[in-house]
Amino acid sequence: MTQSYDYDEGSETWPFFVLAVLCVVLVPLTAMQLWELVSGGQKDQDLKDQLNVLGKMSEQYASSEILEFRAKNLAKKSKWLAKRNLFIIAGWTVVAYLVQYIGSNDAIQDAATLLFDPYTLLDISTSSTDREIRSAYRKLSVKFHPDKLTKDLSPEQRSVAEEQFVLITKAYKALTDEVTRENFLKYGHPDGPQATSHGIALPKFLVDSSASTLMVLGYIALLGVILPYFVSRWWSKTQSMTKKGIHVKSASYFSDRLFNFKPSQVVTLDLIVNWLSHAEEFKLMFPELGQETFETLLHDQVNRKHSGTLETAKLGLVAKSHVLLFGLLDIATTFRNLEISNMAIDTLKAIVQATPVSPYSQLLQLPNVNAKSLLEGSVDDIRTLGKLFTYDDAKIGKILGIDDNTKLQETLTIASAIPHLKLIRAEFKVPGESVVTPQSTPHISLKVLVRSAKHKFFGPNLIPDEMCQDEQDFDSLRDPFASILEQPRLPQTFAPHFPGKRSGCWCALVVLQKDGKVIQTPMLIDRLSFANLNKDFDKRTVKDLEKDFKPEDWVIGTIKIPFSQPAPAEKGDFFFRVIVKSTEYFGPDLDFTLAMAVREPSEVEEMEKEGAAYGSDSEDDDSDLEEDDESNDELDEEESDYTDIDTDTDDEETADDKAEKSK
Amino acid sequence: MSFNNTQYNSTFAEDDAGTVEMKAVSFYTPLIYVSILVISLTVFASHYRKKTVKELSELPSMFDESVARDLYFELKQMNDTGDAKVHEKVLKAALLNRGAEAIRRTLKLKESEPQVTMLYKNGCVGEEYWKRYQNEVKLVDLEFKDAIQEAERLQPGWPQLYVAVSKEICFNQALKRRFQAILLRKEVFSEQWQLKFDSTGKLIE
Amino acid sequence: MATYLPTLQYDSNSKLLDVPDASEDVEMNVKQINKLTQDLVAESNPNFTPQPREDSTAMIKKLFENGLKQLQQQKMADALKSVNLAVEMAQRKRAPWEAFAVQLQELQFMMKNRVDLCLVQGKFMDALQDLDFLQNTGLTTSDVFIRKTDALMKLKQYDQARAEVERGLSLDPTNAKLRVLHMENTRRLAEYNGDS
Repeated sequence: MTQSYDYDEGSETWPFFVLAVLCVVLVPLTAMQLWELVSGGQKDQDLKDQLNVLGKMSEQYASSEILEFRAKNLAKKSKWLAKRNLFIIAGWTVVAYLVQYIGSNDAIQDAATLLFDPYTLLDISTSSTDREIRSAYRKLSVKFHPDKLTKDLSPEQRSVAEEQFVLITKAYKALTDEVTRENFLKYGHPDGPQATSHGIALPKFLVDSSASTLMVLGYIALLGVILPYFVSRWWSKTQSMTKKGIHVKSASYFSDRLFNFKPSQVVTLDLIVNWLSHAEEFKLMFPELGQETFETLLHDQVNRKHSGTLETAKLGLVAKSHVLLFGLLDIATTFRNLEISNMAIDTLKAIVQATPVSPYSQLLQLPNVNAKSLLEGSVDDIRTLGKLFTYDDAKIGKILGIDDNTKLQETLTIASAIPHLKLIRAEFKVPGESVVTPQSTPHISLKVLVRSAKHKFFGPNLIPDEMCQDEQDFDSLRDPFASILEQPRLPQTFAPHFPGKRSGCWCALVVLQKDGKVIQTPMLIDRLSFANLNKDFDKRTVKDLEKDFKPEDWVIGTIKIPFSQPAPAEKGDFFFRVIVKSTEYFGPDLDFTLAMAVREPSEVEEMEKEGAAYGSDSEDDDSDLEEDDESNDELDEEESDYTDIDTDTDDEETADDKAEKSK
Repeated sequence: MSFNNTQYNSTFAEDDAGTVEMKAVSFYTPLIYVSILVISLTVFASHYRKKTVKELSELPSMFDESVARDLYFELKQMNDTGDAKVHEKVLKAALLNRGAEAIRRTLKLKESEPQVTMLYKNGCVGEEYWKRYQNEVKLVDLEFKDAIQEAERLQPGWPQLYVAVSKEICFNQALKRRFQAILLRKEVFSEQWQLKFDSTGKLIE
Repeated sequence: MATYLPTLQYDSNSKLLDVPDASEDVEMNVKQINKLTQDLVAESNPNFTPQPREDSTAMIKKLFENGLKQLQQQKMADALKSVNLAVEMAQRKRAPWEAFAVQLQELQFMMKNRVDLCLVQGKFMDALQDLDFLQNTGLTTSDVFIRKTDALMKLKQYDQARAEVERGLSLDPTNAKLRVLHMENTRRLAEYNGDS
């Protein structure tokens, strides 16, 4: 048994090696590209399905600078895509060539045919019995036996046939003769051990003496320099970004601000913009500019002020700011601070709509509005879109200071297409249970109606229960959040001042009413049908609600918010404030209190039985309380612990809560 | 397997036997080799430790400022160098202020622990922030102990009362800060809600 | 990270510190030290304890009761002035080391009365900020929520009012006054949003 290492002189192995490497890279890349094509098409389709007057208007009202910025970003992206496509095509061409090469390479073919397989040679299956083997051998030996060959064969044909006969005989022996059989089993060949070769999959020209130094240097470069370089770069990159996609320095800065935040301070837009302007991302994007400049530029964006030569820089900052604000929001919610979380989202609205946070933001975010005549002109104090639509068109024109009728109509179109959420039903739901049982895993299930400010108001009770039922099949029990994905994606936002097309989302915050603090990181809602916004259910024309309202005309949306902790172990009512805030538009966001009634399942059935008695009891309680309502403001009930002031933070009884929750 | 091994070994031995060549190696060679190894490892370890300590000491504090502490040392230095004779009660006042702040920081760090841990676990902040937090916990502990030692120095036998009094001061100062913030808050909210008030505080509609 | 304090001045006569043009944090700390110095100078016992001083308690109480008397005589403006004076006196006379529990109770009690006096006289923003102060110092009784909701509704901040009244109801679900306020605010909010 000899062992030898030889190089791939006949080019037998290296094509396989290259082929394997190429496939490892190309297959996932191609799959990714195809998937993107398919899902991208789906996404476009989704967007087209959704009412897109806002997107169209957004393009129409965008300034040339904004459009240019968007186009440039698009070009950058498509360039990268083109490069990737080119690589994929080139890769597959090489693969095709290699396959062709392997097919036509004799050495490879020979290597393949040299393998000895007695079963193929005798043309029998591996499960054949001795008798079958014998008969197959006899049949073939008759055909190829040198004595039985016809005389008119050429010498070459004769020698082929003779070779074949030897092989058949060997094969037969391998399967019947004891010694040959052992040889075959042990070494894979009836003649005993064959020479094994350990090849190195490199073509010959690379290992010729002249190129070998280069080869060694290449290996050193690959293993000693290039590989460590890429690994270290990848490592430092993962270390420099948080999981939420912001720079660690920005994250540290935001956390410091939250940590040092004095609860006596009022959270304002200016404060958040100031924090934002310290982001490391901005420094990396524009090393020549300072923090003050960033702050001014962000204020310019909010106040729709042109920044002169720094206009492109401003758009760059603004485009980046939404990732940063989401990073800040995550940190603020982890620090449980409601004011900062709320203002972070409001700041995002202000930057997207280029409208400062003020009592009149809802109206000032609309296009063509004359701020001066809005604030000074009107006699009635109108601050909301809903209120605006109680007036006729001409009066609205006067209120907003829009003289041109086409412009007014466009403004009204946008105003009526801004989505408002209306709560239809809300509950804590445990899949497969009728109540929230102690220590179960509930989620918050909301039924909402996406409506226009123009629509006539109707109570949630007009929507029958049947329309608010979730499917109760096995799949929805297993994953109650799967049904959300059936809803279409949100369409493009009307944001003519924002550098980039965006569709945004709603952020759902959950607050514990006991201490007024956020209890979990925000949930983002990016799927809801906007179909209702197409309806003309104008509050100025609909007179008879009973007659004109048909619940089946309306699409009910579903929002499900995972609850980050199990239900409390003890029975009782626990109150949570749920805030569902749009990141795109100023408008009445959803903000309501939801009770989690934790009950034992058996107990509920009992309670249902004596439901009537329970109801009347609670009414009695009310009247009792009214009398002694005034009396509880004396000092005697001051046993609350003072830890909240301890540290000049607003953490009332945090420790207690934590202890309670962990129980 | 064993068959293969012996086979391999024997071939190897045979090959070797053919080309064997004796080289004179000094007795010290292995010693030098080992000592170089040990020395280089030691140097690396100590260097690494120093670097880590330096990095830790260079981490910025979790708190924005350290005014309470610095004011005390500034006054003490003023007194010690003889620039000005600082009254003992002023030094005491500065030390009480420092103690109160140290207590506030201890409580604040303890209170923020779950939040900071969660931030780190969720990957909202980097490794460095976590190190800073753990560093700060130790530093604040040292700072408070140092303040107590100073109290003993200023007035022997005082520390126990000093700690009790500092606690009250800490809470009362926080209360006062909130009380004093009321005025500014009124202004900020009036501006945010665009409300105008007359001189008696009534809303102008 | 040491604070740079080149401008620290010490007046050996008044024993007070001063740092001109300093940052907010420095200014606040200097104020706190000066207050401590003044109280230490007034204190003769070197081993002072958190025990509250009787004379301060009596003086503050007297001023405050003066205000209540004026309230009974329907002199609202004067009553508010007296209560303000009492609050001011508590801020000035009380040493920072006097028991926090006592100081907190005293201040909260006076502030609650100040809130009512402000509300009666239509000073809603003043009342609101005092209520915020009470809430932030851990006072979350239904009373605070009732008054806060009322003040916010008067200031036409219906969204904030809703948040307050709902939190109040969460802590005290059967409170009839809060329920009435909730209904009223919901009505006004609908009007505000053009949904009535």
